[in-house]
Amino acid sequence: MKKKIGVYICHCGGNISDYVDVEKVKQAIENEGGVFLAKTTMFACSDSNQKDMVEDIKNNELDGVIVASCSPKLHLTTFRNVSERGDLNKYSYVHANIREQASWAHSDDKAGATEKAIHIVKAAIAKARLSESLEPNKIVAKKAVAIIGGGVAGMKAAIALSNMDCPVYIIERKYFVGGRVAQWNELFTTNETGKDLVTRLYNDLVKRSNVTIFTGAEVVKNTGSIGDFKLTIKITPRYIKENCNQGRLQEAIDACPVELPDDFNFSITNRKAIYHNFPSEYPQLPVIDIKNCTRCGKCEQICESIDFSQKEENIEIQIGSVLMATGFDPYTPIEGEFGYKEIENVVTLPQFKRMIDMSDKTLTFKGKEIKNIAYIYCVGSRQEERENKYCSRYCCTSAIHEAIIAKKKFTNINNFHFNRGIRAYGKQEILYNESSKMGDIYLQLTEDSPAVVSKNGTKTIVKTNDILTNGREIEVEADLVVLATGMVPRADNSVGSLFKLPKGRDKFFNEIHMKLRPVETFIDGVTISGSCQGPKNIMESINSALSAATKSFSYISKGELETEPIVAVVDSGLCTWCNLCSEACPFDAISMKEEGGKSIAFINNSVCKGCGMCLPVCPTDAIDLIAYSNKEIESMIDALAND
Amino acid sequence: MKIEQEKNISFDALVVGGGIAGGEAALNLANTGFKVLLIEKDLSLGGKMIMLSKVFPTLDCAACITTPKVSEIARHSNITIYTSSEVSSISKIAKDNFEAIVIKKPRYVVIEDCTACQLCEEACPISVSDQYQYNMVGRKAAFIPFSIANPKAAAIDIDNCILCGACEKVCPTNCIDFTQETEEYRVSIKTVILATGFKLFDPVLIPRYGYGVYKNVITSMQMERELAPTRPFNTVLRPGDGKVPDKIAYVLCTGSRDATIGNPICSQICCMYSIKQSQLLMGALPMADVTIYYINIRSFGKGFEEFYQQAKGMGVNFVKGKIGKITETEKGNLILRYEDINEGIVKEEEHDMVILSVGALPNQDASKLFKGEELQLDQHKFIYQSDLLGSPSKTSIEGVFVAGTASGPMDIPDSILSAGSASSEAISYLIQNK
Repeated sequence: MKKKIGVYICHCGGNISDYVDVEKVKQAIENEGGVFLAKTTMFACSDSNQKDMVEDIKNNELDGVIVASCSPKLHLTTFRNVSERGDLNKYSYVHANIREQASWAHSDDKAGATEKAIHIVKAAIAKARLSESLEPNKIVAKKAVAIIGGGVAGMKAAIALSNMDCPVYIIERKYFVGGRVAQWNELFTTNETGKDLVTRLYNDLVKRSNVTIFTGAEVVKNTGSIGDFKLTIKITPRYIKENCNQGRLQEAIDACPVELPDDFNFSITNRKAIYHNFPSEYPQLPVIDIKNCTRCGKCEQICESIDFSQKEENIEIQIGSVLMATGFDPYTPIEGEFGYKEIENVVTLPQFKRMIDMSDKTLTFKGKEIKNIAYIYCVGSRQEERENKYCSRYCCTSAIHEAIIAKKKFTNINNFHFNRGIRAYGKQEILYNESSKMGDIYLQLTEDSPAVVSKNGTKTIVKTNDILTNGREIEVEADLVVLATGMVPRADNSVGSLFKLPKGRDKFFNEIHMKLRPVETFIDGVTISGSCQGPKNIMESINSALSAATKSFSYISKGELETEPIVAVVDSGLCTWCNLCSEACPFDAISMKEEGGKSIAFINNSVCKGCGMCLPVCPTDAIDLIAYSNKEIESMIDALAND
Repeated sequence: MKIEQEKNISFDALVVGGGIAGGEAALNLANTGFKVLLIEKDLSLGGKMIMLSKVFPTLDCAACITTPKVSEIARHSNITIYTSSEVSSISKIAKDNFEAIVIKKPRYVVIEDCTACQLCEEACPISVSDQYQYNMVGRKAAFIPFSIANPKAAAIDIDNCILCGACEKVCPTNCIDFTQETEEYRVSIKTVILATGFKLFDPVLIPRYGYGVYKNVITSMQMERELAPTRPFNTVLRPGDGKVPDKIAYVLCTGSRDATIGNPICSQICCMYSIKQSQLLMGALPMADVTIYYINIRSFGKGFEEFYQQAKGMGVNFVKGKIGKITETEKGNLILRYEDINEGIVKEEEHDMVILSVGALPNQDASKLFKGEELQLDQHKFIYQSDLLGSPSKTSIEGVFVAGTASGPMDIPDSILSAGSASSEAISYLIQNK
């Protein structure tokens, strides 16, 4: 039982003290059993207070410390470290949250908030009295990182890790790396092309001996956890021998009877079941799309490089950290949304980018030369009725930039931008200015009067009430309507589920804290980068990829890492292995093992997060949680319930 | 001032600027085992972020995020910090070796001995305006910069000090030392990260808004201070007469997207911090009306659009229209003349307090540092990113990287990712050149 507990009650500069009477809290708890000293402080987390705490712990030989302040999400680690610097075991520290749980939640009731804060602190004292010294679990960390996704974010992260002498595996689901950027022509704001950028990164990658690239590869299984993930990767073969005869290959492609929409060109062109990479995709090796191949054998008869005997294989890799770089999908409009799929000359922005890239002197669509182009913004973003409430960040500038390219590349182009307030933030504003100077017309509409696309005979009409001209109804006869579609999470993001990665309300993978831990996730050892975390342009994706690379590296660079000792423990005498605990565990940390001639539950300490889900379901009360034992929790409940 | 000493020291990396970007970059390098010298020209670390109230879109209090981060930086064994110091020059002396001259200005207080008891503040007879509260209140010539400053130690503002000695007499630890002199250090480093931040637009340059003339026209940074936990007045009030305002206006794009004052670009942060302040004001002054006058609302980041919609839901009034002119009434209220774009007519509206949402301008200090090689700036005078898409933190000089707003306007999450990027490049560079 601890007898010398120090309690610090934080004002949080008014965040707490505006609603909770911190002096009253101090007075209410200073005579509690075990409390040796109680203090209030303006900012408990400030350097000066941390120093004072270290001194207090050392000078008074405190055996327990409590800070009543904000959420432990923010500062549990901060104050554990303070305890450690005072030579006190860091698990003797107990955090009491009187900000989120008292002052902010009850800002309309100061007396009530104070009363609640007193009880929260008393409960923390009750827990601190029973707290025990613990040592973190130490595990060996494999010095290698798996990067899932071979777009520019994944490739750049791989280069950074390789530079840090860390072996890297890139796992790309498609047969080619390069991701979305490989599909883009000139990029804002440098006008470098997607091909240039991808080629640069790829050429850098392939000369590195510590980088392995798997294409046609998917992670199908994950066992293990931070420091020691074991991933099973399913690799689908190309069904074409590596040193194939390129000359005969084209004949084989021509002979293939299967035609299907080409993803690369967002379905505006078709490809065969046997196909070659586009020049901006790597490696430069053809592939047979086995899912759509009819096995008619025509290609095989022409080209000796085709080899249907190649087998799908599963390989296993062991790595210390996983870096997610799975990217985004462009939003697909629903049928009839601004005429999509109902009116023939309505396309999406990604399709338009491909059209521009593939067109030479004139821009034509279905045989007709294009002059008037109407761009409709915020398609699939900032939705009022449907679920994508967020702004997709890149589409305004991307559409403007593409409109400028179209005007420069082709003659007689007129651009009409039906927007909801242009968001060309930062230096991208210059592009917006440039397009205005080139004579592009901007029509601005409100949320409640969207642009309407309709067909009038052979003409496609886009109509809106333009607020920039005092709500006047304006019609544009458009040869092409471009829908500036936003970013959505990948349609198949199942790889996230393998790692149990949490998603935000926008369905993108979620970081722990936007400012403090922007590339880390609640799953230890798994970082997120690029547009799988949320819409980003290329520069922003690269910045986040490099941040994630540094973070993944930091987990494993020392060869050993520490995990929380706060895990579940099984009393082998009481356990009867009924399997309820393992079903309740959200982290797959519990398995069955044989011990002393019977089956009992086994907890994998490096996977267990100490969430406590297994405790209440156990019929024999065989599981306890270190640092949150029944004894501790009961004493906290007593303190909370006492008046 | 005479240079008494010249000292030779060496580190792996020099980080110029101790704001959130510089701090984050220094921590990343230090955690990877590299020795870092962090130079901050101000008296405290934390840059502009440590002065803020709460930060969008999560409404975390800025101090709650900054102070522990700053504290971690301050006690990291691989980081050496010089505050009140400036880099006067950097020269590349070999392929992967730079030499920097660092000038450490005297604080006239021995930081290690100061207990921040504030007795010197009480004793000092000189009052001047407090730059850390953006001149809304005064401070003494002997002063603690602000309550969450790091290092938390007194400093003597020698330009305003009359050398009366009152502070020296009351100081219980004898930490005040008027014999301190400027020190010069010759620093050998292998890589440099520039995190020199940005400057705020000075709205005096737009006379028709009346800043500096009308007392109830303040900047967004001043409102930020009024809302911060370490706020000067302990409540929100208008500076003209101390009245609690009840009809507040925000003028967006003050000094941004405006070629007439030489800044055609968007500052990327003003829409969001104004929306954030409006939400905080609705909480602090439940009866007050808040109107935001805007050209376009640019709530583009993760959770930003939702935050904008939340402000609308709380009753913040958004009016599309650029303010042409502000005039003052006898009562100190302000009449804003603007074109209401939605209605297509010129209108006037009276408010009792106006906040100018000032933009972010480049801090050009870093451009003059380099001898021999030129540190290129972009057309807006921010540090030029030589490989914007492939390696955004690379500059025109090999081995010199840029972090945070030194390369252009950005918010805190983007600054932190940019710092992560710069430190990653610097770590790669250091390992590859071992």
